Amino acid sequence: MLKSKTFVKKTRSGGIMKIVREHYLRDDIWCGSEVCTECKQEETVLQKDACIESNLCSFPHYLLPDTNIVLSQIDILEDPLIKNVIILQTVLQEVRHRSAPIYKRLKDILHDKEKHFYTFTNEHHRETYIEREQGESANDRNDRAIRISTKWYSDHLNNTPTDKRLKVVLLTNDRGNKEKAEESGLLTYRCEEYVKSLIANPELVDRLALTNDDKNEITSSKVLFPEHLPLSRIQSGIKSGTFQQGTFRASRDNYLEATVFVHGEGDDSTEVLIQGLQNLNRAVHQDLVAVEILPLNQWVAPSSVVLQDEGPKEDDVTEEEEAELKSGPSGAASRKPTGRVVGIIKRNWRPFCGMLFLSQIKEATRHLFTPADRRIPRIRIETRQAATLAGQRIMVAIDGWPKHSRYPNGHFVRSLGSAGDKETETEVLLLEHDVPHQDFSQAVLSFLPKMPWNITEEDMAVREDLRNLTVCSVDPPGCTDIDDALHCRDLPNGNQEVGVHIADVSHFIRPGNAMDLEAANRGTTVYLTGRRIDMVPELLSSNLCSLRSSVERLAFSCIWEINDKAEIVKTRFTKSVINSKASLTYAEAQMRIDDANMNDDTTKSLRGLNRLAKILKKRRIEKGALTLSSPEVRFHIDSETHDPIDLQTKELKETNSMVEEFMLLANISVAQKIYDEFSECALLRKHPAPPPSNYDILNKAAKSKDMVIHTDSAKALADSLDAAQVDGFPYFNTLLRILATRCMMQAVYFCSGMDSDFHHYGLASPIYTHFTSPIRRYSDIIVHRLLAVAIGADSTYPDLMDKHKQSALCNNLNYRHKMAQYAQRASVAYHTQLFFKSRGILNEEGFILFVRKNAIIVLIPKFGLEGTVFFENKDKPSPKLIFNEEAPSLTVEGHSFNMFDKVKVTISLDASNVQHQKIRMSLVEPVISGVSVAPSEPEPEVKRAKLDR
Amino acid sequence: MATVQVSEAEKVYILHGVRDDLRVDGRGCEDYRHMEIETDMVSNTDGSAKVTLGHTDVLVGVKAEMGKPRPMVPDEGYLEFFVDCSANATPEFEGRGGDELGMELSNTLYKVFNNRYSVDLKSLCISPGEHCWVLYVDVLLLQCDGNLFDAISVAIKAALFNTKIPKVHISEDEEGGKEIELSDDPYDCMRLNVENVPCIVTLCKVGHRHVVDATLQEKACSVASLIISVTHKGTVTCVRKVGGGSLDPESIFEMTETGKRVGKALHAPLMALLQEEESLGKKRQKVGFLG
Repeated sequence: MLKSKTFVKKTRSGGIMKIVREHYLRDDIWCGSEVCTECKQEETVLQKDACIESNLCSFPHYLLPDTNIVLSQIDILEDPLIKNVIILQTVLQEVRHRSAPIYKRLKDILHDKEKHFYTFTNEHHRETYIEREQGESANDRNDRAIRISTKWYSDHLNNTPTDKRLKVVLLTNDRGNKEKAEESGLLTYRCEEYVKSLIANPELVDRLALTNDDKNEITSSKVLFPEHLPLSRIQSGIKSGTFQQGTFRASRDNYLEATVFVHGEGDDSTEVLIQGLQNLNRAVHQDLVAVEILPLNQWVAPSSVVLQDEGPKEDDVTEEEEAELKSGPSGAASRKPTGRVVGIIKRNWRPFCGMLFLSQIKEATRHLFTPADRRIPRIRIETRQAATLAGQRIMVAIDGWPKHSRYPNGHFVRSLGSAGDKETETEVLLLEHDVPHQDFSQAVLSFLPKMPWNITEEDMAVREDLRNLTVCSVDPPGCTDIDDALHCRDLPNGNQEVGVHIADVSHFIRPGNAMDLEAANRGTTVYLTGRRIDMVPELLSSNLCSLRSSVERLAFSCIWEINDKAEIVKTRFTKSVINSKASLTYAEAQMRIDDANMNDDTTKSLRGLNRLAKILKKRRIEKGALTLSSPEVRFHIDSETHDPIDLQTKELKETNSMVEEFMLLANISVAQKIYDEFSECALLRKHPAPPPSNYDILNKAAKSKDMVIHTDSAKALADSLDAAQVDGFPYFNTLLRILATRCMMQAVYFCSGMDSDFHHYGLASPIYTHFTSPIRRYSDIIVHRLLAVAIGADSTYPDLMDKHKQSALCNNLNYRHKMAQYAQRASVAYHTQLFFKSRGILNEEGFILFVRKNAIIVLIPKFGLEGTVFFENKDKPSPKLIFNEEAPSLTVEGHSFNMFDKVKVTISLDASNVQHQKIRMSLVEPVISGVSVAPSEPEPEVKRAKLDR
Repeated sequence: MATVQVSEAEKVYILHGVRDDLRVDGRGCEDYRHMEIETDMVSNTDGSAKVTLGHTDVLVGVKAEMGKPRPMVPDEGYLEFFVDCSANATPEFEGRGGDELGMELSNTLYKVFNNRYSVDLKSLCISPGEHCWVLYVDVLLLQCDGNLFDAISVAIKAALFNTKIPKVHISEDEEGGKEIELSDDPYDCMRLNVENVPCIVTLCKVGHRHVVDATLQEKACSVASLIISVTHKGTVTCVRKVGGGSLDPESIFEMTETGKRVGKALHAPLMALLQEEESLGKKRQKVGFLG
């Protein structure tokens, strides 16, 4: 049956268009219920024994939520307890329209077979489709559609035998809708009513989002915040220039201050300062807000005070603190554009990790939640299990922020586990760094190759057979995702053939499918201490793509003919099949090379590679590639408890640089090839040269030791770093290199069609990309696809050739890489804390890395640990500090600290704030009265007991 | 113009018939052929109508689009006409064959309809000097069997009656910036007042008499015809003479009188019919093009 849907739309150019769409109604849409005998469905989703213990509905029933229930109570729907739910197409479409994240979550639930959620396409069903009537709003029409479908379901299920009869329960919080539904004899409950009736599972009530009705209870007469302007006013205001639109960034140190980052035309963007609760007006970090710039005479300077929202002050505006805030430096020069938030354009709320701050009143159900991220305000939640939740890391979602409430209202989402627990802390770390780490969905897994997997004839036909070559891989110990392998052999003409074989991940991950999209979103595999969050499912990462020894694997090979002077004579790329002869660790490979008694093919091949690599490295360094240093630490993890028992700084062997050298060579060769072939859409990686001002600190540091570092080119920098040696201070050079690393810019992916500067500063290469780790980096998959197209081994697809889409992909990859790095660092930091917790208090020697106004930053080479020694303390009178910015040096009570000075510190774990445990360092040597502390005697027993509390 | 060849004997037969007020198909001189009207035919227009008159078949669609008012009349909207003589109607229209006729028809339609006396152009104004509705009236000739003007004019009147223009609202902010807002209710629309929209009556001088709604054969016997647009009150708003022959003032007067009479009689049943069709609403059985 054909119907047409007509609606009028405003076009972008301001015109008005009438749009007519054909709409087909069908009579073959089934109800999806197991009990139904009428519908000729092949598979059923809804179970026949849909029982849930409820004192409202004691009979088996299906739930049918309306749109607002889905939008506000998605956390309830996600609970494993809630099963057998009918999601109407009307609801699904509306949800999609109103909130993309909730839509995605709903889709995930629908895909989950365990949840028994069924989508009923009521809009295309002949009996449930309705047309909008005259004088009916779109919402009313949808509500009616939901009621009609509920009615249809009830009638439909009534046709089944009596003993198996099921009912349908409509969940709606809309009073009008509920009344109308009841009039037509439908079973309807409000969500709260229903959830509270689930007697067996009282914990669900906590996950209920607070809705408008509930808020009335908390209403106090006092209005704390100005009203937000409606969106239409905001839009016209932005158009006319009275308001600015920007991203709200709360200050980490001062909860009464924030900046709004206003994106201007092109590159010019400004920051608007917002101060005071009233002006912040309920904006939360990362929201998209509209601000109004205050008149010039009200502009203020950012305060330098650190303010934390301390207690659960109920709804009283903290005037004192505001006063304190205003007393900041008032020099006209430091004043910044100041504004106030007039409205919220888009909330960017996500569930936040944090801990519960119990209410002082016993038996109270309202508590304040303190998020781990200091930029997020405290959230008021309602829970009956406060006692259990105290001491746990929990997730809370914000539901809203009424204008008469000091804090936003939220609801409990889930518990992550007890605070301090390793699992929990890792979970928090991943969530706070936005690392997607859920298990791969069924949709993704469905694109995995079927096991047992074999290389087929067709595969062999299009690939070069390199199984006879002596290929081997060299990786760190315990590596299961081996994505590169090497070979080297002599050619008859005296030259050598070197091959780099990279796992052919793009053979398994086809563009556009669910697995590809998931990998593109994850962007990278994240390595945490003791845990790996894969970018692709394990079957691929650790098995089918991993180039393990003695199995046939698909590879993408880059093969060079190289002469004696390590010059490339010929380069070719091919898809291949290899059979690795050995998977070695760096140490094993080194041993083989060094052991003169070993003369097998693999060893010879390794020696050849090593020889060439040395020449390549030398040449690269001559060109000005930088050898930088960062204190990297690695933990020895106890195999039973998974606690770190020892740490060591990473050691580099010759073989490390051998593998690295050939990977660089392959990356450069591939970069050149794909750029030649696709000048507009090659995915490359660049490392911009840092602006000269970045080197200030390095120059000052060198000057303190009477040395000069030339920073005009990478070559000059590399040379002067090599020359910088101080007798009797071997660690000096490393320290200098650590400093140089801090001066560098971030290397980023980009699309060649969108940029003109390709230079990779650190590697001193005019062009560079990532090709060699497709198992753990999505960028490499794209590069593989480009290269495959370039050599005619694969076909292209539109998105690959779209430079805008690729640019957007690069942005995501850069973001994910950055976050992965932060997560990795946070993980190391957390394990360092664990380590020191188990060690008690230690006294160690370290070097001053930076000198600040009121503190020195000390690096302890033994642990690669960096910490701050503060000279100002809240409870003690501060010592006399003289800071010299030029040197830089800090004089404390007559003793002056310079960069690279050797100091002795005691290290302990500061567990005073459970959410933000940190390593505390105090000065032991040089002894300054009133500043340094006595070296703590190793009394691990007592201290430990204290710390383990 | 679509024509037919008529022999001398046939001509005499037709002429004599007309003289005796009896035409070949049995009509009197002032009778129309059987006429069928259906509105709301094309869903992606804002108003449409199809009129069948004998074998003449025309389809009219009205599209409302936002435009800028003409500088001389800043507070009025306007109408645009386009007549498409498709080769469906007659093979002569193939290629550019129908262009000339199309142009001639649309020029006449401008004269007849695009003035404030026929259509309330002021109601088409959204904001004076800035925005107004422009009604694009597209006429498609599906089949030609004489008397195109009358059929088209009836179809236009019906299509304008059927036209639903979405209601827009102008919101103004403090700075005077104007924003056009569209109502999200598809039923919330503006209707045109078609009371004064005239109908065209074409009178063909056949011999000493004149006939209304001439067939192609009758047309072939005629030397000249008079196109008269008449409102429901019987006011003549436009007169145009077409054809090579001459008309003496006396017969022009006579023909105008007939036109007024016939035209006035045409409006009342037309409006009644349109109103009746409208009142059926969604329950109406659509006939469409195949019915």
